[in-house]
Amino acid sequence: MNRPWHLPEDLIERYVTGRLEPAQVLSVESHLARCEPCRAAVPYEREWLAASWERIEDLVDRPRARPVARLLRRFGVPGHVATLLVATPALARGWLVAVTAVTAFAVAAAHLVGRDPAAAFDGLLPFLVAAPVLPLAGIAVAYGPRVDPVHETQAATPLAGARVLLLRALAVLVTAMALTGAATPLLPGPPGLTTAWLLPALALTATTLALSTWFPPPVSAAVLIVAWLGAVLASTELAGDGLALFSPAAQVVYGLAVAALVPLVYLRRARFDPGESR
Amino acid sequence: MNATVAVRGLTKKYGRNLVLDGLTLEFGRGVTGLLGPNGAGKTTLLRSLATTLAPDGGEVRALGLDPADRGQRTDLRRRLGYLPQDPGFYPHFTLFELIEYVAILKEMTDRRERHREVRRVLEEVGLSDRAKTKVRKLSGGMKQRLALAQALLGEPDLLILDEPTVGLDPEQRMRFRALVSRLGENRTVLLSTHQTEDVAALCERVIVMKGGRAVFQGTPRELAAAASGRIWICDAPPGDSRLFWRTADGRYRVLGDPPPGASPATPTVEDGYLLVLGEPFGAAE
Ligand SMILES: Nc1ncnc2c1ncn2[C@@H]1O[C@H](COP(=O)(O)OP(=O)(O)OP(=O)(O)O)[C@@H](O)[C@H]1O
Ligand SMILES: [Mg+2]
Repeated sequence: MNRPWHLPEDLIERYVTGRLEPAQVLSVESHLARCEPCRAAVPYEREWLAASWERIEDLVDRPRARPVARLLRRFGVPGHVATLLVATPALARGWLVAVTAVTAFAVAAAHLVGRDPAAAFDGLLPFLVAAPVLPLAGIAVAYGPRVDPVHETQAATPLAGARVLLLRALAVLVTAMALTGAATPLLPGPPGLTTAWLLPALALTATTLALSTWFPPPVSAAVLIVAWLGAVLASTELAGDGLALFSPAAQVVYGLAVAALVPLVYLRRARFDPGESR
Repeated sequence: MNATVAVRGLTKKYGRNLVLDGLTLEFGRGVTGLLGPNGAGKTTLLRSLATTLAPDGGEVRALGLDPADRGQRTDLRRRLGYLPQDPGFYPHFTLFELIEYVAILKEMTDRRERHREVRRVLEEVGLSDRAKTKVRKLSGGMKQRLALAQALLGEPDLLILDEPTVGLDPEQRMRFRALVSRLGENRTVLLSTHQTEDVAALCERVIVMKGGRAVFQGTPRELAAAASGRIWICDAPPGDSRLFWRTADGRYRVLGDPPPGASPATPTVEDGYLLVLGEPFGAAE
């Protein structure tokens, strides 16, 4: 006859403290149902009851994560960061629609103008000019007392300030880049030119964040958007070459600006804190 | 009294408007009430204590920590619960999601622990059966309770509540009092209110602010006593500018010098408050 098998102590221990996988719990419980000595070995205590009840409650009651949060988790973003990002006001509002619409119009414009071979490169201009502006508009509505209804509550938590602002700015930047990036292959023209918006977008975003250590983000973003459009206008009207802002030389400048501004933002990040005296 | 929070010479200006004018006060564990007319600077003080606003001058020590110092400010935020005067919400979030969002901001990274805490605070304010409701579907009083729930996350040592009883029905007000007095047993709670009954029923200490200064600090009993000998009951309205009103039994309650034929009445916290403010009542300038 088989010697009866009993649950090893460590398994009981883990069962009692609720540290088993659901499948293991099932097999332990089916054994317990048949085996009196093992049942006696399981301390039937309030603590144990509470722990198991909580596991059940957590399984039944856990709210379904939002689709975006689930998507982020699939990309390896930790669950709590995903939940934080989903709350970003910019991502929840019309900004996404605006980005998509602007991108679509700019692509359409490139194709319409591009039918005339002489003007092919000029047709890209609207896209190249608009793409770097989109993340700025997003950052303007991502953080602060005017755009975030939970701002005051958030400002009294340990994550207040730089961490929330930079996380949201990053989320906005990545989203904008992903959308415009997805549209880039649809553009007529050589890849070197159709991707010429990338460094300006990064440079303008870095400048916005740097300026935001002095002024509110919406002000910084608005100033830079105006400055950028002004520069575009100046280069087309005065220099007669709208694409001058996207020349290789200009790209070097954008790259250097990013390299200089990112450390600056990091060093001044305490300024994002609402509790920091100005 | 062992002070857990001390404020010295606090100043704050908005443009040319001096909102905190060298405010000095202290309080310890238990529930402290903050009274004062509109614009007295209560919210400005509470925001300074809750680290959401940097004062222009003066010193704050809360739980032994200095919010002007970055590291200590973060440490203080870890032990702080704050209910702002106009708490905002993401309307498309459910109650659970909203509280969980704040829990994440409070660094609760372990999901199961965080969910347990979210359920606990929703239970505390009697909203657990609505966990899956969208915030925008709540009534005003329920939103106020939701805002209170997020302040309770993580069992903070210092609770700053800006007009927490606004919009609560009588039953919820009682529940709130029971909850806060229990919390006050081993924590520091500071709540601002316009409800002198809240102070009389709930607070061990009371601070009255006016024009950016503390004009009274003491127990509610002491505040009421400030009006002793100044409260009168008489049968006819006094024919002058003394503050009086007709009570439910048809007699007149008068503050100030006794009108002829008046008999003295027992002063309440409200009487004391009005007298401490001086005339004209409620003017903050
Ligand atoms: N962000 C701000 N900008 C300019 N002035 C402000 C700002 N916040 C408050 N004030 C001014 O500061 C003064 C004090 O405001 P505070 O909100 O602290 O008063 P309070 O005592 O909380 O009043 P209430 O009882 O109405 O809530 C008021 O005169 C108000 O106009
Ligand atoms: Mg106020």
